[in-house]
Amino acid sequence: MSLPLPVLINAVATALAGEVAPALQQLGQPAAPDANYAGGTAATAAMILMLAAAQAAHGPAREDAAIAAARPLLGDAAASRDARHAALGAALATGDRAALALLIAEAEAAYLALGLPAPVPVD
Amino acid sequence: MRRRALRGCSILPAEALARFLSGHWGEPVSIAGLKRFHGGSARQTYRFDATGASGRREALVLRRDPPSSLIETDRWREYRAIQGFAGSAVPVPEPLFCDAGPGSFESPGFLMREVAGGQAAGLLDPQAYGEHGAAVGQQFFTALGHIHAADPASAGLAAPAGHPALARLAHWQAAFAADQFRPEPVLDAAMAWLAANPPPPPPRISIVHGDYRSGNFLHDGAGRLLAILDWEMVHAGDAHEDLAWACDPLWSHFSGLAGGMLPLAAAVAAWEAASGLALNPQAWAWWRIMAQVQGLVIWISAAREIIDGRSHDPVLMFAGTIPYRFHSLTLARALEGL
Repeated sequence: MSLPLPVLINAVATALAGEVAPALQQLGQPAAPDANYAGGTAATAAMILMLAAAQAAHGPAREDAAIAAARPLLGDAAASRDARHAALGAALATGDRAALALLIAEAEAAYLALGLPAPVPVD
Repeated sequence: MRRRALRGCSILPAEALARFLSGHWGEPVSIAGLKRFHGGSARQTYRFDATGASGRREALVLRRDPPSSLIETDRWREYRAIQGFAGSAVPVPEPLFCDAGPGSFESPGFLMREVAGGQAAGLLDPQAYGEHGAAVGQQFFTALGHIHAADPASAGLAAPAGHPALARLAHWQAAFAADQFRPEPVLDAAMAWLAANPPPPPPRISIVHGDYRSGNFLHDGAGRLLAILDWEMVHAGDAHEDLAWACDPLWSHFSGLAGGMLPLAAAVAAWEAASGLALNPQAWAWWRIMAQVQGLVIWISAAREIIDGRSHDPVLMFAGTIPYRFHSLTLARALEGL
């Protein structure tokens, strides 16, 4: 992809919102109550498809990185998302800051994969 | 909260509206321009033009539950809240008729007059209010203060039993317990901290809108706030709840401004002036964490609807992905400072 993901998503969403609803109306449903709804739904669906494609492309590498980072602390429990998070949760409940650091790193990587601007504190 | 049934075709036919309004107006009514708004998965929202045989013509909005919904709702509570603020300093759509049963609209719902020319911000819109952000924000946070200055009894809202903050925590803990589908250690840790560090009780119980944020109001695109929408989560409680939710970074359009409109200090000042309340720093810190917890539970519940096949609405897929990851990150970072 040569364009940033948000740009692509916006382009697809805009195109669908502008095209799908009018197309439905031209197909003989000018009074269909969900013609407008279909346009919005299609736009959101397109965004989800884009996210899914990004997830498919980068998710496995992200998971491998999370496993590698957690293995020194958790051993084999690091190998799957649910087992890893259960173990990190147990460690976090005891005040383990290393567990929190791993969870933050995972959350950062997952958010970064969305291709959106970083959260900006309101303070 | 009970589970919703799988929804089938749930389009409201124009004939049903014409039949209802003909009886309500006492004359034959025709319906034109019926369209359903995208989003707002808990409710269906339609707009349409009704024209009576006498020439009477009104642009109306209907909000109703999906016909197959089994979710427990209190349509009257939402409607009464809107009614209570109609004609006040809090702009709301003009409420017209409510039926808490399925008789009028095939499921519980209510009619309002359409707010002409209104537009609402999208979550990912980086320039949601353009050059009018400060003006709209001043009105937005002032209106919030006016809501919090009102008597909950006027909207028929009972005060929460016990500590209002812990009551809300219990509410979201129960929702999380019902919808959790995988380990959520950050959420668990945040809930444990909230339970162990309750804020001071508020000086008075307020009407809490429950979902007061950018995107849940209409503005005219030229700096004027037109109507506060989406009162379906209204309840009585601590005013800090609304303020913290409205100022959560998720609703800031990546700007660092409260609601994407005002610097935080200005937003708080507008709210304090209109509400007569003073921000309590301890309560504020607690409710800011709580806002992220509430968000995460909502996004997890949305994802659960999809996972369990009860809904195929992409809006819920969106909620379970983008806002989920946003709050997973901000809440994890917030834990560092606790």
